[in-house]
Amino acid sequence: MPRVGVIGAGHGVFGRRSDATVQELAFEAFRLAIEDAGIERDDIDASVIGAVPEYHKQRSVAGVVQEYLGLTPAPTWLTEVACASGSAAIRTAYMAISSGLHRVVAVIGCQKMTELSTPEILALMGRVGEVQWESVFGTTFPGYYAMFATRHMHEFGTTREQLFEVAIKNHHYGAKNPNALFRKEITMEKAMGSDPVASPLCVYDCCANADGAACLILAAEERAGELGDRVVWLDGVGCATSSMSVLRRPDLVGLPSARAAARTAYEMAGVSAGDVKVADVHDCFTIAEIMAYEDLGFCPKGEGGRFIEDKRSYIGGDVAVNVDGGLKAKGHPIGATGVSMAYEIVTQLRGEAEERQVPGADIGLTHNVGGIGQYTFVHVFRRG
Amino acid sequence: MFGWFGKVSFVPYSKVSDFAVHLKGGRLMGSECSDCGFATFPPRADCPECLSGRFTFRESSGRGSIYTYSRIAAAPTGFEDEVPYTVAVVDLEDGGRLLGWIGETIPEDEVEIGMEVQVVPRLFEEIEEIRVTYTIERPGTTWGKAPAFDEG
Amino acid sequence: MELGLSGRAAIITGGSLGIGRAIAIELAREGADVAVNYRRHDAAATDVVAEIERIGRNGLCVKADVSSLADAESMVDQVLQAFGRFDILVCNAGITWDGVIWKMSEEQWDRVITVNLKGYFNYNKVAALHFKDQKYGKIVNISSINGMRGKFAQSNYSASKGGEIALTKSLAKELGKFNVNVNAVAPGLVLTDMMEKVPPEFKNAALAETVVGRFATPEDVAHLVAFLCSDRSRHITGEVIKIDGGQYI
Repeated sequence: MPRVGVIGAGHGVFGRRSDATVQELAFEAFRLAIEDAGIERDDIDASVIGAVPEYHKQRSVAGVVQEYLGLTPAPTWLTEVACASGSAAIRTAYMAISSGLHRVVAVIGCQKMTELSTPEILALMGRVGEVQWESVFGTTFPGYYAMFATRHMHEFGTTREQLFEVAIKNHHYGAKNPNALFRKEITMEKAMGSDPVASPLCVYDCCANADGAACLILAAEERAGELGDRVVWLDGVGCATSSMSVLRRPDLVGLPSARAAARTAYEMAGVSAGDVKVADVHDCFTIAEIMAYEDLGFCPKGEGGRFIEDKRSYIGGDVAVNVDGGLKAKGHPIGATGVSMAYEIVTQLRGEAEERQVPGADIGLTHNVGGIGQYTFVHVFRRG
Repeated sequence: MFGWFGKVSFVPYSKVSDFAVHLKGGRLMGSECSDCGFATFPPRADCPECLSGRFTFRESSGRGSIYTYSRIAAAPTGFEDEVPYTVAVVDLEDGGRLLGWIGETIPEDEVEIGMEVQVVPRLFEEIEEIRVTYTIERPGTTWGKAPAFDEG
Repeated sequence: MELGLSGRAAIITGGSLGIGRAIAIELAREGADVAVNYRRHDAAATDVVAEIERIGRNGLCVKADVSSLADAESMVDQVLQAFGRFDILVCNAGITWDGVIWKMSEEQWDRVITVNLKGYFNYNKVAALHFKDQKYGKIVNISSINGMRGKFAQSNYSASKGGEIALTKSLAKELGKFNVNVNAVAPGLVLTDMMEKVPPEFKNAALAETVVGRFATPEDVAHLVAFLCSDRSRHITGEVIKIDGGQYI
């Protein structure tokens, strides 16, 4: 298959954006991306929008966004797989380009999380699991990851402090990211004093909702090649699913879908876990990042807690993970997150991450999970 | 009738709606495929092995052990009066897995991965409408079973 | 009709005489073990038990004032001990203490309400606790047509009988999901020993109210009650069935 490259990337400010509609947020990121790519809107053959509809008052968000961006009459459609919607949009653009149907595709991950009232949002939170057999007991998104954490701590001795180390690292880097929701570092004392959400997880273990958008422009090899060494190649595209219901998951101390997606992506890109220098993983909860280290092969199963404790996921460690602050510090506008992750990896591989630059970053990875692990998308990028 | 199941229901109808009717009578039911015998809990109408749509209900003893759990302090809409509550995943002795609430016979600080439990069918008793659920209790907890509803 | 009461166990309050006795014997004939509560008439109570045993069932009599909740709890324990189960409750114990309201003492009012209405509360409560846990039960509360209409010089009695009907309906709503039926039976005048003492002009006035020209016998009431204690009437609950020969239509 011909190669697909990223020729432009843009990222808006994540936060409680009561100043803007979802299409206005999308435009912020889109403007930056096409300026970065040095192309005109007419150069774009199609757009794929990653967004989760049920949080928006506007029905069928894709059409509204693409019109506001001035991309009509080009084709557009929405991809939705919960929190992995942004990566699904990237994968779809990859498929559209490598099939030869389109040459240049804009991927816009955009999301408002704050348009609904608090009770509406809390009601949606309760429906994240299988509604027939699980939501009837009031399970919540943190509740599921909390159950994974309970089991992980039981099987491997992972500690409360090790979980907070993830939050401390991500806030440390988030403080340096002008697009992040939270710009302050946190301490272990502060974290240990935070309110319980679902045992063993506390407020400081959980990412926060945010509004925001990010944009990637992808192009077919011959078009991308014209733009010199600022192209970043999307060489590994992996995706897998796992049982939606925890009642049929073979194990709850890792995500089978993440392991399978990573295997595919590594093989396709011709790399192994040890080659990855910089990664953005799905830290919706601290335990999720620890499980990601294991699922992605950065460390053996069960050793994720020690991995962060030994600072092996900091810049200067084995692989720099979430040095844009992750979901924890950036906030999690669910449709945008996957594209935000890709933006960070592209920026790192171009050597343009300034004070958060990982030295010598040539292979990077994004790990984007939908819901409670029923979908994982792993993308491997390579410096051009 | 499936809408009877749970503190809050999101699913009014299902091909396995009678699960809730059986639960009201005190019986925890999984399903068994009429064509290939594949058995599972929770029950499902469509066999994942042979694609058959024919099934029968098969009673589960409700005995099992805790696989994992979490005490939820921040509740979703509809569960505000129940909080805090502990949800647990139970591996059932006669097959399948179940998610439910830890009940009153197990104090919160005694919940442990691996502990043996008994899943007990329950009615929400002090409300007028019919709502059914189950709780996770100490082994040996007993409960009443009504005569099967389809008997004369 | 095969009522299927074989193996069931019943409690009848006020079961030593009249309607209560007839119900006790009828349920025994239909196959149930029967325990009767009574207040005063030891010999009569013992005689009911003897009759139950002669029919071939287990019988028990327990002396207690129905206005005591503790005694009601104790009776259930004794029944579970003796019969191993408890499935049916018939509340029948009741008194009258007539008078026009402007002459009725507080004691007259309180006593009738306590024995009749509080007494039914006590036994319905202890039965409900047991029946809801086992997901099976039949409760029949014997009321009166004078709880459905007013009766001269019986404001206390009518109030208690009307109250028993409202109690029955509320409990039908509370207990339905547990597979427990709660119904009331409202007799008109029934020919019991108690009625022998009543003046003829009173009896004739009542007779004239009926459309069938006769009074109920205790057995007439017992047949209806037995039906309501059986699974044949499983779809009837929260209902009040008059058995009055048309005295009050």
